Amino acid sequence: MNGQNENLKELFEKFVEGEQAEQAAEDIRKGEQILGGNPAPQPDDELIANIKAEIAVSLYNKKQDTLRRTAYKMMAVAAGFMLLAVISVKLFEKNSIEPERAVNSPAALSAVWDNSADETLTAEIEQIESDLFAMQSSENSSNGSEAVTELEMEMIETNNDFWKG
Amino acid sequence: MAKSEDLARIIKGCKSGDAKSLSELIDIYSGRLYGYFYRLTGNRETSNDLLSELFVKLVEKIGSFKDGSFEGWLFKIASNLFYDYLRSRQRQEKSFEVLKSEFESETTETKQSSDERIDKLQVQLGRLDRDTRELIMLRYYSQASFKEIAAMRAEPIGTTLSKLHRGLKKLRELIEH
Repeated sequence: MNGQNENLKELFEKFVEGEQAEQAAEDIRKGEQILGGNPAPQPDDELIANIKAEIAVSLYNKKQDTLRRTAYKMMAVAAGFMLLAVISVKLFEKNSIEPERAVNSPAALSAVWDNSADETLTAEIEQIESDLFAMQSSENSSNGSEAVTELEMEMIETNNDFWKG
Repeated sequence: MAKSEDLARIIKGCKSGDAKSLSELIDIYSGRLYGYFYRLTGNRETSNDLLSELFVKLVEKIGSFKDGSFEGWLFKIASNLFYDYLRSRQRQEKSFEVLKSEFESETTETKQSSDERIDKLQVQLGRLDRDTRELIMLRYYSQASFKEIAAMRAEPIGTTLSKLHRGLKKLRELIEH
């Protein structure tokens, strides 16, 4: 309800007696008549023009901000999609390369075996084996069993070194 | 005063950021709001600043206005702005308390030489306490109902009625004598 349409007497009657309520309502009416009889100055036209201009600028900036924010959001979403696409492509490439690697892996293993160090080791083992064979053939000699044991130890050691790489 | 349908249309336009609607709203309410600020501050320059600030705030906050009395909502912002201004002035006064006494004579001279013709009502309003003065102006310029004013001030309607009655009665006595 607007203040102008308000029934002041009825309002005051909720708190004070009938006659008092009427008097209070009358006091308010007369007081407000004084205010009406002494109007406050009005704002200058220049001030109103300035306020309108300020508001127009503020609205323009607000719109620009909204547009900029929307653009940033869209760019962020686009960047997200691009990132997702790049990750998907990478994952797809990885999946397609994996079987190829599996095919290639025996070759890689053979590359390990084709090492020149292995050749040396093989030659050494062969040498020890021939020594052992020679020792076993001259079993009747006095220190023959000791030499055999020594050779066997050497073989075990070489064997261990081989597996350690 | 704008019809309620017109006002609803204007408010809708303001919410969507239409400059023309805001211009219309300024034309409708600037006089009343300026009167409210002027009667409370007694100073045209301060009233100019407060009115400008109010409309800037209105643009920021118009989206939060739902249903109900637009005048009530608008004058609540005006009232908050006035109290903010008072608080900042009090802070300034405290800071310059020492300096103030030194320049006291100069200030009085400035007041007297001002081209503002302070009317009788303004003088008598100055004799009322700040809260009563604000209540009288809020009621007169917002044209809101007592129920709305009581809600704005977060006090029982009986308190609002009694304060306004006492205030206006006193103002009348001061003016008539």
